[in-house]
Order: sequence, then structure tokens, then C-alpha cells
Amino acid sequence: MKTGRTLTGIYGLDELMDGGFRKNTVNSIYGGPGVGKTTFALQYSLFGLDRGEKVIYVSFEMSEQQIIRDCKDIGWGAIKDYIETGDLKIVHIFGEDLEFPSLDITEIIKKSSPGANPRIVIDPFTYPTFYSDKEKRKSISTIFQDMRAFGTTVVVLEEPADGATATNYGTTGDFQHMNRLLSTPLYLSDTVLFLQNLGFGEMYDRTIRIMKHRGSKHGEGIYPYSIETGLGIVLRASKKQIDRVMPKTRFDDRFVQAIEKTKTMGKPGQKIRVKIESVRKNWVHDEDPQQILELVLGEEKKSYENRA
Amino acid sequence: MKIELEDTLDQLYDIEGIEACMLYRIDGVPITIRVPGYREHLLETMFWLEKHISRVLGEMNREGLKETIFYFRNNRILIAPSSRSTVLVTVAKAEANQQLISLETLRATKFIEACVT
Repeated sequence: MKTGRTLTGIYGLDELMDGGFRKNTVNSIYGGPGVGKTTFALQYSLFGLDRGEKVIYVSFEMSEQQIIRDCKDIGWGAIKDYIETGDLKIVHIFGEDLEFPSLDITEIIKKSSPGANPRIVIDPFTYPTFYSDKEKRKSISTIFQDMRAFGTTVVVLEEPADGATATNYGTTGDFQHMNRLLSTPLYLSDTVLFLQNLGFGEMYDRTIRIMKHRGSKHGEGIYPYSIETGLGIVLRASKKQIDRVMPKTRFDDRFVQAIEKTKTMGKPGQKIRVKIESVRKNWVHDEDPQQILELVLGEEKKSYENRA
Repeated sequence: MKIELEDTLDQLYDIEGIEACMLYRIDGVPITIRVPGYREHLLETMFWLEKHISRVLGEMNREGLKETIFYFRNNRILIAPSSRSTVLVTVAKAEANQQLISLETLRATKFIEACVT
């Protein structure tokens, strides 16, 4: 597992995400109604709290009382103790109260923070996204930049129930407008997790997809999950699926051979060696890397000879 | 994913003449696939399936069909719903024993249904 990671607290997810969220990043949880976005956010918060971390939870919808009640129902009554000790700070605000979202959200979080480098949750982020339509991208980018400097953030994004998803680009004016509004935070986030629920009650109805995870290797399948009382979200990836994100060492000799070949390429060869070494450490495929290595060495050799 | 589900797909994939088999969700998202490495024609088929599977299933549902067959180049594509939210697709070579593949595919759908429901 890499250092500089913040564990998500979701059972079974971290091993598919190279060890969890990267520290000081903004990570989006995206999905429709009833998929478990708020459960995810609360589970992420409680996982940190149980390990002595501080959490600030900015809620644009639910009040502190509602959050406590929901947590009790799912078996997380301890949340009340954390509020009393001051480790968890819940801030309930209305979107209408934000005059300049890019400034206000950051200020609120800075003022209310219970400690250094906290876990931050914004649930849902949809409202300020809608509010700041003009210069939206810059505004969201500013918010995210400030969040990164402050802690590791989870933002909850709501997929509209009418099917105008960010992955399913619409054509009508309304859909295009909706997509514009939704897609910006997805592009600007460091990680996007897409939660779905088809609603037939079968194994693959509730699934998580890791749509992006900057600077990390991650699973590319769809992973079924369930929401269990007392535990929260539990992912049920198969051994094969987990194996697909684990680096393979059985092709090491291929990489060693390729590195040997770079030694005849002078100074540029050193840079190629670093690249190949990096590929070797992160080779998760079952296929032989020979073809790729030949391609890389061939191209690099060509440009090296041209320069020479 | 349940081991039984993986095993069912593995056993189906082992049948002579089956070039690939894929389990899709009804919205076109591939759940798990068995393919022999990179094959351009299979990739094209998979793109087509991802895009059209929900519409094909809608038509099958309307007509009350248990399976549907498409022919792409030298391949026979068999689409068989395996539960309310999943669908099994097998890609077979033209010279394969089509009757056996149809029977085995339909048999596999029963196992898949038991796994996912």
C-alpha cells in the first residue's frame, strides 16, 4: 500500500483504489437517489473519527439532528459522542445563504474546522454548483484548490433522477444545461466514484465504478455492493477482480531485458529506464509486455538516432 | 462476485467454438467477460452490444423471446437474458456446434440467475 493515502473506510474499496484516496485531494461520490451517497460520506467520516482524526461535515440538506437520527438507524450511534467531544463538526447551511460560494464554503470550513488536516465532507455539492453558473468552472476550481490545501475531501454529487447523467450526454437544452452543471465538478475532482442502483434487488443492481482516480492505478470493472446495518457499504469484488489491480512480477525478466537495451542509448536511455522501471512496478496485466516494450524501445531508439 | 458465477462463465468459455462470452447488465455495462486477448472484431461486437443491448432486450421482452441471434461476419452472437438485470452473450465461430452452444448458454443463464438473485 502506498503512503500518503487516506483510507475510505468502505469495506473492500481501498484495495481496488491503490490504497484509498490520495491525501489532500477532492473526491466525488456521484449517483442517483437511494444509492448510498450519504452513507458513503458518513462511513468515510466515522472511519476517520474512530482512528482519532477530525471531521468537518458540511450539509446543505440534512440538519445535525437528522444526521444523528439516520446514523443511529444504521447502527452508528457513536456519532453523537464525536460531536460532543468536538472531533466531528457538522455545519448545516442553506445554499441561499452563500453569496460567493467559492469564498464562503472555504471560510465556513476554515472557521469550523475541529483540527488540522481534517476529513472534509460536503453533502451534497450540487447546490453550490447550480448557484455559481457564471464563471462556474473557475469558482469550483477555486473551492477544490482550497479544499486540497486544507484536508482530504469527499463531495457528494447528485445524479438527476430524470436520466440526464453526466455519462449520458443529452441533446435537448435542459439536458445539456444539466450536463454542463454536473460534469464540471467531475472533471475537476481527483477521484470520481459512480454509484448505481437499478432497483431489481439483484446482485449487480447496486454497483460502484471507479471512473477516475488520478495518479493511481485502480480497478476498472463494476463492483457489486450492499448496505449492511452496522457496517455501511460493503463491496464484494471477486478475487479475480482484485488480482487485476495487483502488480504482476512474472514478466520481470522482460523488463530487465528492455532496461539492458536502453544502456546503449546514452543519456536519453536513462530517462527511458526510469519509465520502464515504473511500468514494471505497476504492470497489472496478465499479458506479456513484450509488444509494448518493443514499441517503446523502437520509437525511442528512432528519435535517439535522429538526434544523434 | 460469486465464485460460482466466475466458474459458470469459465465452463461456458471452455466449450469448443465459443470465442467469447460476456455477462452484461441490462443497461449495457459489462459485468464480466471472457475473451482471448485483443481481437478487433470482438471489440467492435462489444461496443455494439454496449450500445444496443438494452434496446435488443426491450424488443425481446415485447416479443417474448428467450434468446436472440445476430450474425456478424463469421460470428454468431447469442443473446440470452439471465435474470431481471443481467444478460449473457456468447460469441461463437460459424463452424461451431450451434445447437450445443445454444443449450449450454441457456443452461448457464439458469446458474447465473441463481447466483445473482
